[in-house]
Amino acid sequence: MHGPDIQWYVILAGLLFSIGALGVMLRRNPLIILLSVEIMLNSANLLLIAFSRLHGREDGQIFAISVMAVAASEVVVGLGLIVAMGRRHVELDVDKLRTLRG
Amino acid sequence: MIDKPHVDWFAISPSLALLIAAGMLLMIAVFVPAGPRRAVAACTGFAGFVAAFVFAVVVDVKSPVATTIVHDSLFRDRWAALAQVLIAGSGAVAVLVSYRERLRDEHIAEYFALLTAAGAGMAFFVQASNLMTLFLGLEWFSIALYVLTAIDIDLIGSLEAGLKYLVVGAFGSATLLFGSALVYGETGQLSFDKIGSYGHGHASMLVVGLAMILVGLAFKASAAPFHMWTPDVYQGAPTPVTAFMASATKIAALVVTYRVLAVAFPQDEHLWRYAIAVIACISLAWGNLAALVQRNVKRILAYSSVSHAGFMLIAVAAASPLGERALMYYLIPYAAMSLGAFAVVAARERELGVPVTLQNLAGFGWERPLLGVSMWIFLLGMLGFPLTGGFIGKFYVFAAAYNHGFWWLIVAGVIATMISAYYYLGVVRAMYFRDAAELQLAPAGGSPPRELLLGLGVLICVAVTVGSFFAVQPLIDVARSAAAALPL
Repeated sequence: MHGPDIQWYVILAGLLFSIGALGVMLRRNPLIILLSVEIMLNSANLLLIAFSRLHGREDGQIFAISVMAVAASEVVVGLGLIVAMGRRHVELDVDKLRTLRG
Repeated sequence: MIDKPHVDWFAISPSLALLIAAGMLLMIAVFVPAGPRRAVAACTGFAGFVAAFVFAVVVDVKSPVATTIVHDSLFRDRWAALAQVLIAGSGAVAVLVSYRERLRDEHIAEYFALLTAAGAGMAFFVQASNLMTLFLGLEWFSIALYVLTAIDIDLIGSLEAGLKYLVVGAFGSATLLFGSALVYGETGQLSFDKIGSYGHGHASMLVVGLAMILVGLAFKASAAPFHMWTPDVYQGAPTPVTAFMASATKIAALVVTYRVLAVAFPQDEHLWRYAIAVIACISLAWGNLAALVQRNVKRILAYSSVSHAGFMLIAVAAASPLGERALMYYLIPYAAMSLGAFAVVAARERELGVPVTLQNLAGFGWERPLLGVSMWIFLLGMLGFPLTGGFIGKFYVFAAAYNHGFWWLIVAGVIATMISAYYYLGVVRAMYFRDAAELQLAPAGGSPPRELLLGLGVLICVAVTVGSFFAVQPLIDVARSAAAALPL
């Protein structure tokens, strides 16, 4: 079985990474921002797995699996924070989080 | 018999000691009754950091030759061991400062568990010798710090700081991860040594990957223009956490930045050297100028830490044995000064119960002479005044830059130091030179009792700040033997 060439994977991963990065910078809802961070991490995962197949080495895939575990724990912390903010009736809009200013 | 890699348990003992302490603290949170819990938890946390300190010293003594361990995934050398000594020392002082922090009693053991877990992550991170351990170590201590920042959930500012730190930090680590993936794709290797000996050092994918890894690490070192989270997070986090972050995270991030650049990308030295020099310049300019207009003392110190990241990056940009020594030496007084300064701020904050600004710092120097004098020493040290280690640190950094013809970095550093005199001395002025009418003494009911543990922590910091000036030769020798582990 022959799949697409490696450059297509790199292009797709780059595209996903840019979408995620733009999402973090432009969106205002912290939930969507967390989702965008996930897209960024998973674009790197896609790249790792593609390169791991290209080089015929397994270490990239192991790396990708551990990244998934790490990403999950990061999201847990993020969601925990958002829930805590929701309970304190803080508006979930990062533009309005301006208690800390100098 | 299955073939398994040899694990050098002794070399990872600093991480393990802290990890065991963290596990015990989680048990303490469940099994020890609320009355003695704070004392038991603090003792366990302190013991964990002291054990890590001792183990790191022994590893440092016993690893004159740099090796990789556990199937080439970690380094065992003096560069990492010395950084672990500094991290564990900062952690121990941070425990002393944390003891009387107004955190809820029912979650105090979890607080210390997270502090030791963050320390363990940093100790692991500085040993990283491939892209995977690099990323895992980074996330290990970052996630612990996100929770620590937001742990004071009764305070809106703390939650907000935690969310901001999480989003920006995750953005930084995702960038680092994508860069690592590109480097892996180009070289087919994960370990720094093998990436360093890859034939085509200028392949575009490798250079883009290097740039993204640099950006990710610069976020952690809070170097401008990747520092935008620093003032908000330092202000919003509980002050002992800020103290720990300002010293230990900076140590870990800078030590690893230098290691990654020197070991994995020696062929692109002419590229990253200028990139680092530019980042250093921006950090010096931005950190010092933004600090001038701040009123909140924690924000002033946050911007000062951005400018210190700039100073230390000058040493990285020099990329020479002298630069390595300068970086390692600079970290010693810097860690003590920033820990100590935030500890004094924590003491004032507990007296007043409100955030410390230049306004309500008035009269503090007269009210608490010991802490006042210590703050003097820390601020003069950050300014680079003789009789403190800050002076020799800056001198050494400039010497390293001069050796490599970066005269414009020296000019930037000297101008930055002159500008910084305004806000460092402004804090001193706020403490001592105010009219009696402006004095804001402690609220009715008298000052809270003196905190012996916090005082002890501040004294340790003073001793290191001043001691690193007088004991400069032994410390330089230690830094030299640490730097000998690196190839450049």
